[in-house]
Amino acid sequence: MNGFLEYVPGDSFLHRMNPVAKLAAAFILVIACFATSNFVVLALVLVLDAVLAAQCKMVPQALGLAKAVAAFSLLLALIALLFTPRGDVLVQLPWGYIGTESVVAAVLVIVRLVACAVPLFLVFYVTKLNDMANAMVKQLRVPYKYAFAFTSTVRFIPVFMNDMVGIMEAQTARGVEFDGGLAKRIRLMVPLCVPLLVSSVRKTNSAAIAAEVRGFHLRTRQSGFKEYPFATRDYLALAASVVILVLAIVF
Amino acid sequence: MIEFKNVCASYDVEVPILKDVSFTINDGDFLAVVGTNGAGKSTTMRLVNGLLKPTAGEVLIDGVPTTQLKTSELARKVGFLFQNPDRQICCNTVREELMFGFKALGEEGSQAQARVDALIERFGFDPQAEPFLLNRGTRQLLALASIIALEPPVVVLDEPTTGLDFRECSKVMDIIAEMNARGTTVIMVCHDMEVVADYAKRVIAMTAGQVVADGPTFEVLRNRDVLARTHLLAPQIVDISLCLADECEPLRNTAVARANTLNEMTEAMTAAAQGEGSR
Repeated sequence: MNGFLEYVPGDSFLHRMNPVAKLAAAFILVIACFATSNFVVLALVLVLDAVLAAQCKMVPQALGLAKAVAAFSLLLALIALLFTPRGDVLVQLPWGYIGTESVVAAVLVIVRLVACAVPLFLVFYVTKLNDMANAMVKQLRVPYKYAFAFTSTVRFIPVFMNDMVGIMEAQTARGVEFDGGLAKRIRLMVPLCVPLLVSSVRKTNSAAIAAEVRGFHLRTRQSGFKEYPFATRDYLALAASVVILVLAIVF
Repeated sequence: MIEFKNVCASYDVEVPILKDVSFTINDGDFLAVVGTNGAGKSTTMRLVNGLLKPTAGEVLIDGVPTTQLKTSELARKVGFLFQNPDRQICCNTVREELMFGFKALGEEGSQAQARVDALIERFGFDPQAEPFLLNRGTRQLLALASIIALEPPVVVLDEPTTGLDFRECSKVMDIIAEMNARGTTVIMVCHDMEVVADYAKRVIAMTAGQVVADGPTFEVLRNRDVLARTHLLAPQIVDISLCLADECEPLRNTAVARANTLNEMTEAMTAAAQGEGSR
């Protein structure tokens, strides 16, 4: 069982790709999803998502993510539904109407977000953060401290999530009942941001000191031992992503 | 009374943590749960206050399964001190922190205020101090005080002395011992066998999610087999007396070989020396 954004080992096509190439390909797919309103192109991206997830043996995780993103995008879909008065009138509203095109816009929001979220998350699950940071430094010439800041941010997400669970448990043990409506839960969780913030600052400070004493400031682009050359599969994947992007723009 | 009846528990269905654990904790007990990391101690503690529900069997608090009790009802019966006080502390002043438990239970009356005042005086806190700026030992004391403010009949302590120096550790443990003397049931997870020997009346030793020994403190801590199975080191005096019993034939059947505390060892050694002198 893997935690949130925790590396899943494997030997799939995506695992073997250059970290920079897969990150670039994922971003191209994201742009493609936002550049198109064509359901066929989005369906193509979704099929590609499914194939990649199956190849990485991460179908349950991808489905879980798709469900979570779909649930989150419901709010945006609702906004699109209520404030995109287009097409034949279905429901009259005081400020406009819900039309046939409003429904299409709402569905489009959900499909688009699901389609673009999956490749990004797959990339994070199948790439070691160190490899991603080092490849960014070597290939993209990103200064190491920025790459380190990026990987630290991602690495700390599960740590802070774990902290929040621990803090909520501590308050539950003191009689705070978190079960109930969303508004009540948010009201009860707001004061808990104080211990979370304090522990985050303490952890970040400790990590910074640990990095300093291990010679963080001495690190340059040449410091990494591992090289990240581009292979044929990386060029192929990038070319395929560009083709999808072109299809998204044209259609 | 707390009863564990054939309890199994896990966080992940594929990895069972507790396997068919059964024991009873009587009112007024001072129980230490010991074992290596991953033995299932903290999981056992989480089951006591309902943070975790058993996957099989049942945990009964005064005859009622924890699955049937609400969080607030359990909080009244079982106080829980976490290893890291920073997960518990969430208010802007010491006074607010001590009142937090009462607020959560909707009991902010004059009686609660009086109890908080008494605790502030007893622990020597500055009521307006900011909790996160206190030192580690004082934060641990504050976390303990905010738990005992509610006067729960059972207190669960998950490694209460971690990160404390000797003076702070003694202060925390003396307060816990005083609570126990007044009738509070204390259940403590602890890696420090000296603390266990000094304070606990009963020990449960666990390994790989199962109980391997349950009995009076020194009965368990003098059992070489249990110590080996749970990878524990006996407290120093116990270890010395066990070694002397093994290695020194003339002392094998004397009080020296049975000494558990410094006082007992001193008296036994003095008696042995005087016996030797009179010969």
